Amino acid sequence: MQVVVTVVTFRDIFQNEAEKKSRYSEDYRKLSAQITLDKQDMAGLGVKDGQNVLVKNDVGSVVVAVKASEDDSHPGLAFMVNSPWSNQLVRDDVCETNIPGFKGISAQVSPSGESVTQISELFQRMKAQGA
Amino acid sequence: MAVCTGCSLLCEDIELTLKTGAISQVKNLCRKGHGHFQALFTERIVPKIDGQEVSVDQAITKAVDILRNAKHPLLYGWSNSALEAQRVGIDLGKKLGATIDDTSSFCQGILMELVLTGKLPTCTLDDVRNFADTSVFWGADPSNSHPRLLSRFAYYPRGSKRQKSYEEERNCLVVDVRKSATAKLCSNYFRVPPGGDADFIASVIDVLDGKIPKYGDKKRMIDLGTILRKTEYGVIFPGVGLVYALQDKIELLKTLVAKLNEITTFKVVPMVEHYNMRGFNQLLLDDSGSINRVSFHSGQVTHGPENSIMAAAKICDAALVIGSDPLSSLPFGTAKSLAGVSLIAIDPRRSLTTDAAQVVIPSAMYGLEAGGSAIRMDGVRIEFEPIVKSDLLSDEQILARIKEEI
Repeated sequence: MQVVVTVVTFRDIFQNEAEKKSRYSEDYRKLSAQITLDKQDMAGLGVKDGQNVLVKNDVGSVVVAVKASEDDSHPGLAFMVNSPWSNQLVRDDVCETNIPGFKGISAQVSPSGESVTQISELFQRMKAQGA
Repeated sequence: MAVCTGCSLLCEDIELTLKTGAISQVKNLCRKGHGHFQALFTERIVPKIDGQEVSVDQAITKAVDILRNAKHPLLYGWSNSALEAQRVGIDLGKKLGATIDDTSSFCQGILMELVLTGKLPTCTLDDVRNFADTSVFWGADPSNSHPRLLSRFAYYPRGSKRQKSYEEERNCLVVDVRKSATAKLCSNYFRVPPGGDADFIASVIDVLDGKIPKYGDKKRMIDLGTILRKTEYGVIFPGVGLVYALQDKIELLKTLVAKLNEITTFKVVPMVEHYNMRGFNQLLLDDSGSINRVSFHSGQVTHGPENSIMAAAKICDAALVIGSDPLSSLPFGTAKSLAGVSLIAIDPRRSLTTDAAQVVIPSAMYGLEAGGSAIRMDGVRIEFEPIVKSDLLSDEQILARIKEEI
């Protein structure tokens, strides 16, 4: 099962507060490594609030937890807090303005039995491929 | 009273009592600001070279060595440094022939340039409090990004010409893809699809011209036109949501603002995130004619997208990053590029960038451990003093030493 979504990133004050305390904390990971999905998309995937999903595109992939949207219906539209997790999916080959598409990330979402991606793993990906 | 450097509101009314290792009493800090002050006690770093702890002097000497030998050095960050440090940083860039860029390059830069060059009318937040009867938060969610903007200036307070309650005297409109926390508080919320802002602007211009709008709910758009027409003093607060949606169509916002100003008074105040991004943009503009994305290579001053952090990260052979964590905040490909060069990180606290850096130089936190000045999001200069004693060098002192040794 898979749904295709457009991911829009946003700011969250609780995640920001957690980041100020420590980027390496469990609080920061929980508040960052999640994707808010429309209930219709969740039903299509057969996932419930709190379950893990793989979010991937041709840029990268992360395993994050699902958060059920409380907003009006928005199938095909998903939200992630701006963080190193969402940035795994953001293209860097950008247009003339050189502004990345943080707010219109095309990605596929599917259920995952894996645990949520740790920040240490994200860091290792940068170091391994940057070296 | 302390000044909070947690966001570009630079709130000056912070009262707090600090005890060893903790804040014991506090007044007027928002949640974001509280986190910022708590950061004084967490994830502090020590000087390092290649992961080994060294003295500050050794770390600075190594940084000088790296920068002196670089053919294409990049200096990046700046939005979380005081004006005094930014001034030294720009001079360092000239001395090195470096590329210099700040966080505005991938957020509010194109909008800030229009404001700083007088192409968009703007005002102070005090003007907003005293005169504004309509505030439009467009692709912006101040309840999460600038938590006291509504209570100090834009919605709830009484001002010299706004003496009645906010329900009677102020309109607060939100245009956003997402029904944000601010959208839930405000009197009118308009949902746009991702990238639909240009069409929304076209519809607003249509209704202001008395035409039937092509996009959106026609009745709601006509109601919006009525609110805007009746406005005495309006302010648009564009967030990164609008900037990202418009990008090279940012002229559309200029067209809309010009149209609104044919009818009434409308100003624009960009929702700058970091506390002194505007300060850096102003300093660099005064110095080089551009607000960001500048190269001083070979003694020539050039400006363009090729000097943006996104492009420069791929071609630089050394980078000095100050007060910023691009490995967290930029796309994976750019972060990966930066992680692969000789990286110098000047920062008060641990981050992915300091973890990846060859040289780490700890700095004092501005507003808490170091004094200085900054430009608030609306252009007002704010001075701040340290509230705790610290032996740590400020960004200004570190950069001055690097510049002197080079």
